Amino acid sequence: MQLRRQPLPAPQPGDPYPAAPLLALLLLLALQGAAAAPAGSGEPEDSGWRQDAELPRGLLSQAARAALHFFNFRASSPSALRVLAEVQEGRAWINQKKEYKVDLVFTTELYNPEEGKEHLGKCSARVFFRNEKPRPAINITCTRLIEKKTRQEEDYQLYKYMKQLKNLLDVVSIPDSHGHIDPSLRPIWDLAFLGSSYVMWEKTTQFLHYYMAQLSSVKQWKTNEDAIDFDYTVLLHEFSTQEMIPCHIHLVWYPGKPLKVKYHCQELQTPEEASGTEEASAVAPTELSNF
Amino acid sequence: MQGLLILSVLLGAVLGKEDFVGHQVLRISAADEAQVQMVKELEDLEHLQLDFWRGPAQPGSPIDVRVPFPSIQAVKVFLEAHGLRYTIMIEDVQSLLDDEQEQMLASRSWARSTNTFNYATYHTLEEIYDFMDLLAAEHPQLVSKLQIGSSYEGRPIYVLKFSTGGNNRPAIWIDTGIHSREWVTQASGVWFAKKITQDYGQDPAFTAILDNMDIFLEIVTNPDGFAFTHSKNRMWRKTRSLTSGSTCIGVDPNRNWDAGFGKAGASSNPCSETYHGKFANSEVEVKSIVDFVKDHRNIKAFISIHSYSQLLLYPFGYKRESPADKDELDQVAKSAVEALTSLYGTKFKYGSIITTIYQASGGTIDWTYNQGIKYSFTFELRDTGRYGFLLPASQIIPTAQETWLALLTIMEHTLNHPY
Repeated sequence: MQLRRQPLPAPQPGDPYPAAPLLALLLLLALQGAAAAPAGSGEPEDSGWRQDAELPRGLLSQAARAALHFFNFRASSPSALRVLAEVQEGRAWINQKKEYKVDLVFTTELYNPEEGKEHLGKCSARVFFRNEKPRPAINITCTRLIEKKTRQEEDYQLYKYMKQLKNLLDVVSIPDSHGHIDPSLRPIWDLAFLGSSYVMWEKTTQFLHYYMAQLSSVKQWKTNEDAIDFDYTVLLHEFSTQEMIPCHIHLVWYPGKPLKVKYHCQELQTPEEASGTEEASAVAPTELSNF
Repeated sequence: MQGLLILSVLLGAVLGKEDFVGHQVLRISAADEAQVQMVKELEDLEHLQLDFWRGPAQPGSPIDVRVPFPSIQAVKVFLEAHGLRYTIMIEDVQSLLDDEQEQMLASRSWARSTNTFNYATYHTLEEIYDFMDLLAAEHPQLVSKLQIGSSYEGRPIYVLKFSTGGNNRPAIWIDTGIHSREWVTQASGVWFAKKITQDYGQDPAFTAILDNMDIFLEIVTNPDGFAFTHSKNRMWRKTRSLTSGSTCIGVDPNRNWDAGFGKAGASSNPCSETYHGKFANSEVEVKSIVDFVKDHRNIKAFISIHSYSQLLLYPFGYKRESPADKDELDQVAKSAVEALTSLYGTKFKYGSIITTIYQASGGTIDWTYNQGIKYSFTFELRDTGRYGFLLPASQIIPTAQETWLALLTIMEHTLNHPY
C-alpha cells in the first residue's frame, strides 16, 4: 500500500456531490504539495493520535468499505449504489486506546454496472474506528457518477415499479443456489442491499467486514402508503470469520427522502437447527456448551 | 411402437400399482378368418385377464396379447390345440419394465458423453461423479479414477489421474471444492478435467507438461458438505462430521492440516465456520489427501482452489515469517495473475496468505509447503463480493478459462524448474 506524506484536504460537509472539477483540483493540489511536508503537520491536536507507520493488514480497505456503506445509506438511492474499486492512497493514526483514524482516497464502481459503460468515481473519506462507539464515524465526499436529475428519475421509476409489485411474500432466496436473480426482482435485491448498507456500516470494524450474500425472505411488502415499507431477512457474510449472519431488516423508503432502517442480527454462532432450515428472526442467540 | 406400449403398461402399473412378474406377451398369427374368430373367442374369456395390445383384426395382421402368469398355461394349450401359431415377444414383462425405468432415469438428467455435458451450469454430486466415469471411459489411455478414501458419511472420495505413462512421474495436484459452498470451484474443476483431455496432443505447451508430469485433480474434495449444499443449506462450508460434546456439526477442512494447527487464525469453537477440529487431520477428507501425498512422494506443485475474492496466495497463513522461496513464489504468482487477467481483464491480487487475506492456521498449502512441495498455491476465484458464493452460472466457464491460464503458468514453471 502506497502512503503519501501530504495531508489530505478536509472533506466538504453537506453536499455529497460537489462539482467534480473542484474536488479533482483539490486532490491534485494535495498530491503535488511540497514533498517535504513533515508528517503530522496541520493535524488537529486531539486524543493523542500518532501516525501508524505499520498499517494493520487491510485497514485501508476496511475503512473504504465502511465509508462506502455509509455513503450508500446516506444517498438513499437504490439506483446509485456504489462498490469499492481500488484504494489509491491513505494513512492512519492510532491512539492509546488502539482506536484508528484513517484518511483515504479510493475509486468506486456502480453496483449495477451498465453494459459497456465504465463509471469510475472517486471518493475521499475520513473514518474513525472507535472501540466503544457502535459504528465507525465517517466523513466522505465522492465525485458524481450520475447526474443528479438522472438519478432522481431512475429512483422514481424504480419506486413506481415497486409500488405495483405484488405477491412478494413467496420470495425466497435471491439469488437462488445458482446465482440467478430474476430480472423482475432485481429492484428488490437493490433495495434490500440499500437497507443492508446501513447494517453493514454499523457492523464494520477494523477487523470485520461484510457482504450481502442472499436475500433469504420477504416478511412484508407494503406499498399502500406513499413510501415502500419493506420487511425482510438477509444473510450477511462476514469475511474474516467466514460466518453467515442472518439479519432481520425493516426499511421505509421514498425517493429523495433519507432511508429509515431498523434491524436485528443474530450475533453469536448458534447450534445447528435440527431441520436444517435457515431462520433469521429476532431470536435471542443461545450460548454454547463446553469447548 | 413397443416403447409406447411399454410406457402405457408402465403407466398402468404406476396408477394401478400392479406388477407384471412372469407375464408374457405373445404374438399370434391368424392364418385365416376362422383363426381370427378363435382369438376373438379367447378375448371373451374374462377370467383369463388378457390384455390385447394389438387386437384380432384380419388374417395376416399380427395379434399381440399380454398374458398374466396364471393364464399362460391355459392360453398356450388353447392356441396349440387350435393350430394357432405364436411367438413369445416378451418373456417377462416386469424385467423389461425394470430395465426401461432405469434407462429413462438415466437419460433424463445425465449426459451420455462429456461432449453433451453442460459445463455452464452447476451440478449435483451424482452428476459430477457420473461425469468422471464418462471421461475416464472416453480417454482410458489418459484418465483414470482413483478412490483415495471415504468421507465421514461414507461417500467415496475420488481423484482423477491424468498420465501419459512413466512410473510415478513428478506430479501436479489440483483440488477444488474443499469448502463446499464455493460452487464455482467444483464447476471449474469439471471444466479443467475436460480441458486436459482436449488440449493434450493439441496444445504444444500443455502436451509438453503432460508428457513429463502427471496431474491429479480432486474435483469434490468435500463430498458430504457438497451434498448438504444441495439438499439443505447452500451456504454450508465445513465437513459434516459430528463433534462429541457439541450439537454443532463440521470442521473447517482448511484449518485442519498439521501446520500451525490450533494457533491463532482458527477457532476452537465447534460452532464456528473456522473450527479447526479436535486434532490435526481429524477429518478423513483431509487425512486422505495427506496419506496420498506422503505415499506419492513426488508431487511438485500443489494448488488448492477456493472462492471468492480474486486472489492468488502462497504460504504462510499461520505465521508472518516469509517462506524461504518467497521471491520465486511471488514471481510465479505475478506471472500467473498476468496470464489470468489477459483473458477477460479480471483483476486479481497476490501475495502470502497472512498479508493478503487474513491469518489462518492449519491451512492446506502451509502443510504442503512444509512437506517440501515448493510450488504451493491457493486461489480465491471470482467474484469480489457482488454475488460471492452465489456466482451466476453464466460465469462458470469464463472463470474456469481464465483460471486455467494461471494454472498453466504454474505448471509450466514447475516443469521448467525441477527440484
